[in-house]
Parts: sequence; structure tokens; C-alpha cells
Amino acid sequence: MPTIVVASPKGGAGKSTTAVLLGTELAHENVPVTLLDCDPNRSLTLWADQADVPRNITVLSDITEADIVRTIKAHDADGQVVIVDLEGVASRLVSRAISQADLVLTPMRATTLDATIGARAIQLIAEEEEALDRRIPHAVVFTMTKAIVSKQHKGIEISLRQQGVDVIDPPLMERAAFSGLFAFGGDLHSMPPMGNMDSARDNARAFAMQVYKRLAGEG
Amino acid sequence: MSDKNPFGISITPGKLRAKPKDTSPKTVAKTDAAAEKHGFTDRSPKKRRGRKPSPRTGQVHAKVMPDVAREIGDEARARGVQQGVLIEEAWALYKAENDL
Repeated sequence: MPTIVVASPKGGAGKSTTAVLLGTELAHENVPVTLLDCDPNRSLTLWADQADVPRNITVLSDITEADIVRTIKAHDADGQVVIVDLEGVASRLVSRAISQADLVLTPMRATTLDATIGARAIQLIAEEEEALDRRIPHAVVFTMTKAIVSKQHKGIEISLRQQGVDVIDPPLMERAAFSGLFAFGGDLHSMPPMGNMDSARDNARAFAMQVYKRLAGEG
Repeated sequence: MSDKNPFGISITPGKLRAKPKDTSPKTVAKTDAAAEKHGFTDRSPKKRRGRKPSPRTGQVHAKVMPDVAREIGDEARARGVQQGVLIEEAWALYKAENDL
């Protein structure tokens, strides 16, 4: 099964939101998804406790540095996806999860601070690729973006692309429905309407499709 | 999800193939070494060293005959428990016998 690791040492970059949106959209398309909550803040577990967990999704909580490699391996199967949500710190748990990844997603807000700290994850991936002699595909997804793209956003994106970093298009925009997932649980198809739900669903689906293309080798 | 599909790709779970990855202790060690270089360190919560504080914070002030004190002390030492444990057991028996 492809393992997607959502990693950034920067807190508040949108890792858990990215993990839930990706997991629920893939599950909605009948892909079995296992979400591993490795964050001591238990964001995914809090989401899972708000309502019935959507069909095709399993949430496993309290995964630690000692059992991350074993847990990922235990859920290894074709036709499924494992999504690992990590705490926003530079920890060995992050690096061990990356070592088992088929795709590392680094969410970052389009600010210089987020990009600078998020880049540490990209540097770590490069180091691990060399140490393990294995290519670890990775991509950046901008989160909480606005309809009007700022100069800062454009500048950071151009800079990343020039350095060969894969940037997922579309970004995840700042939407009430995305943050509402943690208030209501479930997915964008079951939660009470918040803001423009059609646009939120289209945004999340288009993002999930781009991730799927990378996993299925269609990108 | 709205009816319109902005990207028009259908998901085929069968295309999501498992890829074998090395999970050996050697690989984990290499990963840890690479992480260390970039400041990704062990941040797992550490267990506190030493004996945990006793939950027995209550105290009784009992004077007993010297031979009883000696016997209680010997019994507690033999069982590897505090003398308070013996008093708790004796009190439980007393309560059971007197329907307290």
C-alpha cells in the first residue's frame, strides 16, 4: 500500500487538515485508508471522536517512535493507503516515518517562515534518500491560501519549483469547511454546510486526485 | 462533492501498489543517523527514573507492645512491603468482621 507521510517540523502548517482531507476524499472514492495519528496533540483522534468515522477509514492513535515502522509495515497491502500525521517538531519519529514513505507531503502556508522551516523536512528527505539508497518522492502543498495569490506566495512557489521541488496544484485554500471538519467530524460530504461547500469539495477532491496521480504513477 | 469534476480522473485502487521497504534495525539506525544531522532527535517522552512516589500519604500514630512491633516489622520485611500494607490488611479484616 502506498504510505503517505505528512511531515513538517513547523507547527500550524496544516498537516492534520491535509491528512484528514486527503484521507476522507480517497475513502469517498472507495480507497481503504488507514490514518496513523502520531501527534501527541491527537488531532486526528479528536476529529475521529466528533462523529462516526467515514466508511473505508480506520484511525490508529498514539503511534510512537518505537512502533511507527512496525505499524506501517503491518498495514502494508495493495489497493490501500496509509496516511501518517506527525507532530510539528523535528523528531526521530518524523525521520522514521519518512523512511517508510512512498510519498512525503509537506504542507506549508505561503509565508517565508513556514517555507524556511518546512524546507528542513525536504533536506531531511534528501539525506535519507542518500542514506537508504532509495528515492523518496515528496511534494509541497500550500495550505490556507487566499483566492488572490500574494507576491510572497508566488515568490516562494517559484523558488521551490526552480529547485526541483514538486508543488501540488491546486493548493488547499483557507476554507471554513476545512477547519469545520474538526468541529463536526466526518467528511465534506456529511458535515453541516459551512461556507461554499461545493468549492471546498472540489478543492479537496482536486488535491486528492493530484496525490493519487503521484501514487499511481500517473503524474 | 459537487457533481462537476474539475480534473476528471477516476481512482482505481488496484493501481495503488505496495512497495517493499527495508524495515531492518540497520535501516532504522541509518535513518536515525541521517535525522540527527538535521536536528531531528529523539523527542519521545522519557520515563521518570527511580521509585514512584507511594500513594500511601495517610499516617497513623500507633504505639504497640514491643513484641508486636517486632513481628509486624519481620512480616513486612519478609513480604517486601511497607508496614502500612499490613495495617491496611488488618483494618480490612476488622471491617469485614464487624460489618463496617
